[in-house]
Amino acid sequence: MLAIPDSWAQDLTTFPSDLSMPYTLTPGRAAGTFVAEVKNRRIVGSRFASGTVVVPAQDFCPNTGDSDPELVEAPHTGTLNGFTQTDAGIIALIRIDGSDVDMTHRILGTALDGLKVGQRVEAVWGDGEGILAIEGFRIAANAPQGEIRPLEAPAKPVEQIPYRLDLHYEHAFGPYYGRLFDEIKTNRRIMGVRTSDGEGALLPPREIDDITHKPTGTWVELKQTGTVRAMSVIHLEFIGQTQPPPYIYAEIMLDGASTRLIHNVGGIDMSRAKELVKPGTRVRAVWREGERTGSLADISHFEVIDGEE
Amino acid sequence: MARHVGIVGVGQTHHARRRTDVSQAGLVREAVDRALADAKLTIEDIDSVIVATGPVLFAAVNQPEKWVADAIGARLKPVVRVTSGGGTGLAGALTGYYQIAGGFAERVLVVAYDKLSEGALQYSISTLYDPFWGREFAVGIMGFSAAYWRARMDVLGHTEEAAAMVGVKNRKNAMKNPYAHVKKEITVEEVLNSRPLAWPIKLLDVPPISDGAAAVVLSSEKAAAQSTDRPAWIRGMGYFCEADNAAQRSMLVSEPLALAARRIYRAAGITNPRRQFDVVEVQEPYTCFELSYYESLGLCAPGEAAELISSGATQMDGDIPVNPSGGCAGANPIGAAGLIRLIEGAAQVMGKAGDIQIPNAKLALVQSGGGWANLRGVAVLSA
Repeated sequence: MLAIPDSWAQDLTTFPSDLSMPYTLTPGRAAGTFVAEVKNRRIVGSRFASGTVVVPAQDFCPNTGDSDPELVEAPHTGTLNGFTQTDAGIIALIRIDGSDVDMTHRILGTALDGLKVGQRVEAVWGDGEGILAIEGFRIAANAPQGEIRPLEAPAKPVEQIPYRLDLHYEHAFGPYYGRLFDEIKTNRRIMGVRTSDGEGALLPPREIDDITHKPTGTWVELKQTGTVRAMSVIHLEFIGQTQPPPYIYAEIMLDGASTRLIHNVGGIDMSRAKELVKPGTRVRAVWREGERTGSLADISHFEVIDGEE
Repeated sequence: MARHVGIVGVGQTHHARRRTDVSQAGLVREAVDRALADAKLTIEDIDSVIVATGPVLFAAVNQPEKWVADAIGARLKPVVRVTSGGGTGLAGALTGYYQIAGGFAERVLVVAYDKLSEGALQYSISTLYDPFWGREFAVGIMGFSAAYWRARMDVLGHTEEAAAMVGVKNRKNAMKNPYAHVKKEITVEEVLNSRPLAWPIKLLDVPPISDGAAAVVLSSEKAAAQSTDRPAWIRGMGYFCEADNAAQRSMLVSEPLALAARRIYRAAGITNPRRQFDVVEVQEPYTCFELSYYESLGLCAPGEAAELISSGATQMDGDIPVNPSGGCAGANPIGAAGLIRLIEGAAQVMGKAGDIQIPNAKLALVQSGGGWANLRGVAVLSA
């Protein structure tokens, strides 16, 4: 029995996967007030019972863990405590006058070789959202030392901030997934590997048998018919869904396979879905017409085989 | 020889569908303050902190233990984050338990939370699937859970009616739980007639999506007396896994849960769980899971779960009450849910469960799990 695949994909390199996830983030009282006030061109900080001042405002003291700070108005001036050049410009650690911690922001209008730790800086206001309402800080050699003051008539904290994570991945196929999807794309064959004892076939194919921890066996083409092992009828709509409901989520054991394949059972009257498709229902793969993608989506769906149990 | 470990303080937030007044850090802090006050301790008394949360895509903050460190007093203390899907809360407690049992700490603070209102839940859960194999067909965990419930119907008789009874019981129990936020009694007919989401799962089989946090203080035997004269002693705790896509994996009885229960019962001297336990708390992401857990935990034999729920034995006044707290049906901040079940079990044996106290509860069983039904754990607590 071979311990390595007898051939593998030459062309499939990586599988692109894009996730685009929407969020509504809750900043809490201190940061929410900072966000609300920064567009009024006021910089809000927190003063804790211990006397520690944190700019921008935070709900919890980094030194003591104290909560419920007094919100204060911070000056627009400070001192450069560190800096670095990035593709997005010069990013600096800025100690706002009266604060006990640094804040991170951009430096505008001065090249890297004009900067020195200890230089005085002042805020440059812009039109961005959140902390980017401060466009950045510029060198201001004669900026007077500012002071922390009580925050008069603070705005109501912003409670929710829309946010989105756009994540792009390139997953490596590797030899097993590579051959599986190459065969699906090129030959419309579904390939598994034999279990280490040769009794069944594992799908998706893999190098090591999960039960015995021994190398799996040779490649084997699986039948394109199988049995529904478990199914549900999807009516739920959700963000990121790849097809409109209703449809059938099914876990199918292909004939000759020892593991399940997740796909949809289709081609039926969906209003009778729960009678027509059950655990034990026999199904057959229906290939998608048109462009082949080299993924499970090249199978359009599984159709019910009439008259078989 | 492992040292004895007790739960000496518990705290949870008043869970809500959406908390816009606090950040994730603020939410966690509320639970920590309550747990420390309950244990009559301050953060100075804590040797080590465990942070447990669900998958980071739930709320878009990667490495959240860093973000919440200031809020939970973790500064200059040992901190580890544990994540294990829906069973994260119990996995976090297990980590703290090991630290004390192994003699590496006297008191450990375990915090667990999720702020699920912030993200797209089913989409996030769908990313738990292999990107090559099944993710494009995933319906969060709901499609999968519903599919295997459908399979258990035929083999084990877990009918829609039986599952509806679980929902009715848990919703009723949640009415008296001050921390639950779903407070509406329902009937079996209402469950059966509610909108299908992933049939057989219907709207009223599904727990809420919640913002919430929970915290416990674990203590060595030596240090426990400072907090309470009645800790909830951990008689055993374990968390087991099965292979995800191995050959012939059975999804009918939860094998990792049956394994965890068998091992932990042996450690705790449990030979007849139905008779010996006074109260049970299970983490039932959908009503159908509670039926399955009755069987995997040995409260009844496989195929007898529908009979057990319809007999009334698992009601508040039954001989084996399950989820006096209302379980996930009352509140379901996923990352915290396992720790909340532990807290509810502990409160019972500590005799401070208030309106949901089971009289004279001395021995509690707690179940939690996550990760596609692969990961299942139990804890046994005693007075």
